[in-house]
Amino acid sequence: MKFIHIIPRLLIYAGAVLAFQPLSAQSAKETVIEAMLAANDREKREIIGELAGDGDPVIAELFDAWKADELFIYTTSEGDRVPVRVPGGRDAFETAEPYSLLTDAPLVDAAGAAVMPTRDNLDRVRHNNRLRRAMKEVLDLIDLGSPDPAKRLQAVQTIGFSRDLEKLPILQKRLTVEKDSNVHQATRQSIALLQLSQDDLAVKIAAVKEMEAIHSLSGYDALLAVQSEAQQAKQPELVAAATKALAAIDRHRSVVDFVGTIFRGLSLGSILLVVALGLAITFGLMGVINMAHGEMIAVGAYTTYLVQNVFGAGVVIPAFGLSVSIPGMNLEGWAYSLYFIAAIPLSFIMAALVGIALERGIIQFLYRRPLESLLATWGVSLVLQQVFRLMFGANNVQVSSPAYLSGNWTVADIVFGWNRVFVIGFAVLIVFGVWLALNKTSLGLLIRAVMQNRGMASHMGVRTTRVNMLTFGLGSGLAGLAGAFLSQIGNVGPSLGQSYIVDSFMVVVVGGVGNILGTVISAFGIGGIDQVLQQYLPAWAPGLGWVPLFGSFLQNLAQDSSVFGKILVLAFIILFLQWRPAGIFATRGRQLED
Amino acid sequence: MLILLPVLNAQGVISNFTINLWGKYLSYALLAISVDMLWGYTGLLSLGQALFFSLGGYMHGMYLMRMIGTLGQYQQPIPDFLVFLGWKELPSFWVPFSSFPFAFGMVLLVPGIVAGIFGYFAFRSRIKGVYFSILTQALTYAASIMFFRNNLLLGGNNGFTDFKFILGFDILSAGTQRGLYIATGVTLLGVYALCRWLSRTKFGLVQRAIRDGENRVLFSGYAAADYKLFVFVFSALIASVAGALYVPQVGIINPGEMIPAKSLEAVVWVAVGGRGTLLGPILGAVAINMLKSWTTRAYPDMWLLILGGLFILVVVFLPGGLVSLPQRLKPVWTRIRGWFGQSSSTAPTE
Repeated sequence: MKFIHIIPRLLIYAGAVLAFQPLSAQSAKETVIEAMLAANDREKREIIGELAGDGDPVIAELFDAWKADELFIYTTSEGDRVPVRVPGGRDAFETAEPYSLLTDAPLVDAAGAAVMPTRDNLDRVRHNNRLRRAMKEVLDLIDLGSPDPAKRLQAVQTIGFSRDLEKLPILQKRLTVEKDSNVHQATRQSIALLQLSQDDLAVKIAAVKEMEAIHSLSGYDALLAVQSEAQQAKQPELVAAATKALAAIDRHRSVVDFVGTIFRGLSLGSILLVVALGLAITFGLMGVINMAHGEMIAVGAYTTYLVQNVFGAGVVIPAFGLSVSIPGMNLEGWAYSLYFIAAIPLSFIMAALVGIALERGIIQFLYRRPLESLLATWGVSLVLQQVFRLMFGANNVQVSSPAYLSGNWTVADIVFGWNRVFVIGFAVLIVFGVWLALNKTSLGLLIRAVMQNRGMASHMGVRTTRVNMLTFGLGSGLAGLAGAFLSQIGNVGPSLGQSYIVDSFMVVVVGGVGNILGTVISAFGIGGIDQVLQQYLPAWAPGLGWVPLFGSFLQNLAQDSSVFGKILVLAFIILFLQWRPAGIFATRGRQLED
Repeated sequence: MLILLPVLNAQGVISNFTINLWGKYLSYALLAISVDMLWGYTGLLSLGQALFFSLGGYMHGMYLMRMIGTLGQYQQPIPDFLVFLGWKELPSFWVPFSSFPFAFGMVLLVPGIVAGIFGYFAFRSRIKGVYFSILTQALTYAASIMFFRNNLLLGGNNGFTDFKFILGFDILSAGTQRGLYIATGVTLLGVYALCRWLSRTKFGLVQRAIRDGENRVLFSGYAAADYKLFVFVFSALIASVAGALYVPQVGIINPGEMIPAKSLEAVVWVAVGGRGTLLGPILGAVAINMLKSWTTRAYPDMWLLILGGLFILVVVFLPGGLVSLPQRLKPVWTRIRGWFGQSSSTAPTE
């Protein structure tokens, strides 16, 4: 599962290597040498200018050496001119060994003896202001040819907004060799943007059409400006083209927003699902109101933190005034980033153990008093929070994301964060796992039997106390798993659990107690509605003015879309429970009171 | 106590700090009674009482903010945080709060309406037990995240503070604080008497019947939902008045009073004191808050451990709370007395 996400990354790296090709048959180094040997300054500048858009790091190195007076020409006894570099320049003639740039080996004469540098046998390659300016122009564009697509993208975009028409040919040259689709697209957009600022009407119209074709979101403002300029200059063709392009971009934007919203809704839904699934078992199946569920999540997150440190440099925990030092394995790179895979089962086990202890210690006395289990577990949650604080400090701890979980993936302007994609996949996986565990194993059968009728199951010889303990352990373990994942998405601190407890109860209550499918539907429903509201509320806000008395108040509040969205979701939930008091899937029974 | 403390304070025997502290305890005792009316007598565990408590506090706080006048940091006729947000004049809903009767009306009206609407919907669809607790908690949670925002124009994170005058008196003077203490005490006595009377009428009987067997009450032809709605709104009003009395004595109200944990804390007071009695909540609120004042000063790290531990112990081992302690200890006491009797009598005859 985890490795699948590395593959697209590798592919992108491979793409980057392919894209990184010299612009001409000559290598960048050869071009610099050619410039060094050129007869006069004008020629040198022209040769240097050819390097524009090349990303070879050797260019910067050689230019720096040139400007530091480290480059020389050695004339052999046959009259051949050899480009030479003396690190440290003339001041280091006594100590430094010159080496030939052609062979990268120490400079030798025809007889094979080392050449000692002197003022007589080496001619310094000179430079002047205009030459240095030419070099700077090349260096400014060096990112254009960088092997890192992100750097190329940045460089291309910067040029697009620079309105510097002289860079146009360089971009056009890049377009022919660029292989990365995102950078290619950005290059087209930058070319179009540059062309928009030209005077030629035909070129402008072509540029507008190009922008329409690539749905350039960042060119929107430029297009608006062109449209209004064209209206003033009475250029109806340009106005029409711009209007059409703007409309196309608007459509594209709404599609991007829509798909992005759906993706964010799915990922939020998955987070809610992962967080609530454990509760669906302890609350839904067992009827225990576990207010310490959030702290079980935090146990998982802190376990991940510990595992990370054991894989890394170790950690000192100032627990209760004593300082406990846990040694680390000091792994690096690949081996280190595997910590997360080790952390997943460990957080499950840790949280499950804490859960079992909780069940044995307190909850087993309260099965007949659900409201009181709420209160006692809330006490547990307070104690656990304080224990976290005493063990790990009151501040958040750092959990770093392994490489395969950070970064994102942009398709047609829609950004997919890998950790979000991962959490969706993970949610699917554990729901399936829980379904298997409950429906296809003998333990699952026992769990369902005990939860339906404790007394009857006990009479049939089921060891109910043991089943209760294991069920609660399973629910808590699932919370621990959620904690491992939340550590990748948000902060890990003593009050981590508190921020999810209300949400997870909402999900279970809306889904219908005792029903895993209901939990799934309600998690995605709540996540989706929340994201839709967050996306579209600011646009709807002005429409709230009609509400008597509170109109301006609501408009004001709706601007705060994340908070107002959350409040509306809670209101929806209350209204929804009006309609279906027992959630989406009610458990039907003949008992009047449970 | 109601008379003794202020007299001693006026004589200078008891410090202003103590009076202030006791005033705070008594407002908490009011809140505890409101929780108990719902949970102890009607079986509805509401985790939203902190919301009504702070709503009352906010309404009264708005009046107190208006009374600051131009004495704020910015010397403007509108509250400082509004100046800070770039307002030039008072938002319209703030204007009438310069009148005390209006603010007092709002202390009763706003929580009453919120409780009425929420309760109507909740009880109509027969949401009960755990669901009711979770929903009230969600309501409180939603309100708290709303009050944390500056956009609400109610002070955001910082809430209201730096009050100067109440009804023309300097709010920080010993005399005013003494007056507030007496007012809180009188209100507590009044509410206690009212609840005691209510619990002895037929209404109180129905209330307890709902707690013990709601379906039977329904089948007997009582509209349980209406009873519950009445108790819910009534408790909200008690909590709100408690909040309104609390704010001038503590000198600050912010959304931190509204977080779900605060409601649960009030439930602990009731549980520890003894639910289903009227003396229990008062006892619990005062005892636990005295313990809290002492622990947070002496061992600040241990407070949550103690509170949590207390909660677990009381719920698991002492469901009746402190009030039930004498009753529970009776057998132990007789046994101890029996031992002594045994040891003193030379010839056991059994």
